[in-house]
Amino acid sequence: MNEFALSLTFSALARGLLVTAAVTMAASLVAVTMGLVVGLCRVSPRRSVRWPAIVYIEFFRGTSLLVQLYWWFFVLPIFGVALSPWTVAIFGIGVCVSSYGAELVRAAIRAVDRGQYEASIALNFSRATMMRRIIVPQAIRAMLPAWGTLLIELLKGTSLVFFITISEFTSSAKSAADATGNYLFFFAIALLGYYIVARGLITPFVRWLESHLSRGFVRITAP
Amino acid sequence: MIEHNVRLGKMMTRSKVLDHLIRDKDNVSIAMTQPMVRFENVTKRYGALTVLDGLNLDIARNEKVSIIGPSGSGKTTVLRMLMTLEQINGGVIWVDGEPLTHMNKHGQLVPASERHLRRVRAKIGMVFQHFNLFPHLTALQNCIEAPVSVLGLSRQEAEARGAELLDMVGLGDKKNHYPIQLSGGQKQRVAIARALAMRPKVMLFDEVTSALDPELVGEVLNVIRTLGTEHDLTMLMVTHQMAFAKEFSDRVCFFHGGKIAEQGTPDQLFGDPQNERTKQFLSAVLEAR
Ligand SMILES: Nc1ncnc2c1ncn2[C@@H]1O[C@H](COP(=O)(O)OP(=O)(O)OP(=O)(O)O)[C@@H](O)[C@H]1O
Ligand SMILES: [Mg+2]
Repeated sequence: MNEFALSLTFSALARGLLVTAAVTMAASLVAVTMGLVVGLCRVSPRRSVRWPAIVYIEFFRGTSLLVQLYWWFFVLPIFGVALSPWTVAIFGIGVCVSSYGAELVRAAIRAVDRGQYEASIALNFSRATMMRRIIVPQAIRAMLPAWGTLLIELLKGTSLVFFITISEFTSSAKSAADATGNYLFFFAIALLGYYIVARGLITPFVRWLESHLSRGFVRITAP
Repeated sequence: MIEHNVRLGKMMTRSKVLDHLIRDKDNVSIAMTQPMVRFENVTKRYGALTVLDGLNLDIARNEKVSIIGPSGSGKTTVLRMLMTLEQINGGVIWVDGEPLTHMNKHGQLVPASERHLRRVRAKIGMVFQHFNLFPHLTALQNCIEAPVSVLGLSRQEAEARGAELLDMVGLGDKKNHYPIQLSGGQKQRVAIARALAMRPKVMLFDEVTSALDPELVGEVLNVIRTLGTEHDLTMLMVTHQMAFAKEFSDRVCFFHGGKIAEQGTPDQLFGDPQNERTKQFLSAVLEAR
C-alpha cells in the first residue's frame, strides 16, 4: 500500500469520526429537549397530556432504532415526506433516545422528596411554578448521571446511520480495514475513537453541568 | 400570676364569642366575631381507617392553640387538612368566614376548585417537622421565591422583606447560606421566615422542634414566642413540648382517637385534667422526662 492511499484512508477515518461526533451532539440536543418535554408531559395530572407522552415513550422505546430509521428514511417518502439522511440521523436517533430520557425525567421528578411538594403547596405556588422553580431544578441535578450514561449509549447507536447512507466512524474503519487487510489495527482505532468521544466529549460535558447545577447540594468546603 | 389572669380574661371573652357562634350557627355573616378557623363536623378517612370523626373546632382570631395527644391520634392530620395537603371526606373547614374546602355555588356548598383553594389558602402558612427547605436555594432565596412568583412582589421588595424576616429570626448573617450549610435550628428558623414572607393570618406548626437536637430547641421556640406576642397571628401548633404549650397557648386541645377528648386553658388541662385519657397521657409524658 502506497503512502497516498494510506493518507486517504486516514482522512476518511477522521471524517468518519467527525460525522459521528456531530451526529452525537446534534442528536443529544434533540434527545435532551424532547426527553424533558415528554417526561414533563408524562407526569402531568391531565390525561390528555399524559397519554400522548405514554404512547410516545412506549412506541419509540419499544421498537428497534434501526427499523425506526428505516421508517423515517424509506417509508415516509412513500407518503410524500422525504427527509435528508442527516435529518433522519439527528432526529431519528434523538427521538428514539428521548423516549428513554423521558423515563429518566419522570423517575427523577417522582423521586423529589414529598416534602418539597408540600412546602410548595403551603407557599401557594401554582403547579406550573412549582414544577419550574422547585421540582424540576432538583430533578435535573438528580438525573444528570443517568443522562451521561444514556448519551454514551446514543453515541454507540450512531453507527446505525451507515444504513441510511451516511459514512460515519465505524463504517469508515471497516472500509479502511477492508482496503488494507489490517483488521486488528483499524478496529483497534475504532474502539479507541468511540472511547475518546465518550470520555472526551460527553463525560466532561455532564461533569460541567453537574458542577454548575450542584450548588446547595454539595457542601461547599471552606476556602 | 398576673399574666395568667390576663390570659384567663382573654379566654373568657373568647369562649363567649364561641357561644354566640354556636347559637348563630347558620348565619355566616357575623363579620367581627367569627372564628378565624372553623372545623365543622370534619371527617377524614384513609381507606377503612377513620382518622378524624366529626371534628368540631373553632379557633378565634389571634388565638394560640396547642394540640397534644398520643401518636396516631390525628394531630398532624388536622393541620394537613387545614393546609389543604389532605382532602377531607366530610364536613367543611372555614377560614376567616369563608369556606376553604368548599365554595358557594348557587347558594350551595360544592367542593372547592383549585382556584378557590389557592385564594383562601393564601391566608395560611405552615412550618414542617422536617423543615422542607428548598435545597437548591439560599436562605434568602427560600424566602423570596414565593413572594415574587406567587404574590407578584418585585425582587427588591421581596428581598427587603426576606432580609427583614431573616433578621427577625436571628439569621441576618446567614442570608446567602444554602440549607445544607445550616444547623437544624437555623433551618427551622429559615422555614418560619419563609412562611411569614407570605403574610399569612394563620400559622401552623407541626412538631417543629421534634427533629432538632435538644440544645437547638430553645432558639426555635423563642422565635415562635416572639411571633406570638408581637404579631397578629392565629397559631395552631402540634407539640410535645408540654412546658412550652403551657406557657404559650391560650388553649390546649387533647386529641385521642381522632376526637378532642378534652380542651381548656393550659391551667385547666395541665393542672386539673378531667378526662381519664388526658390524665394517663400527661402522667406518661411527665414520667418520660
Ligand atoms: N397517608 C396516610 N395513609 C394512611 N394512613 C395514614 C396516612 N397518614 C396518616 N395515617 C394514619 O392516620 C392516623 C393519624 O395520623 P397523624 O399523622 O395525624 O397522627 P399524629 O397524631 O400526628 O401522630 P404522631 O404524634 O405520631 O405524629 C394514624 O393512624 C396514621 O397511621
Ligand atoms: Mg404527627
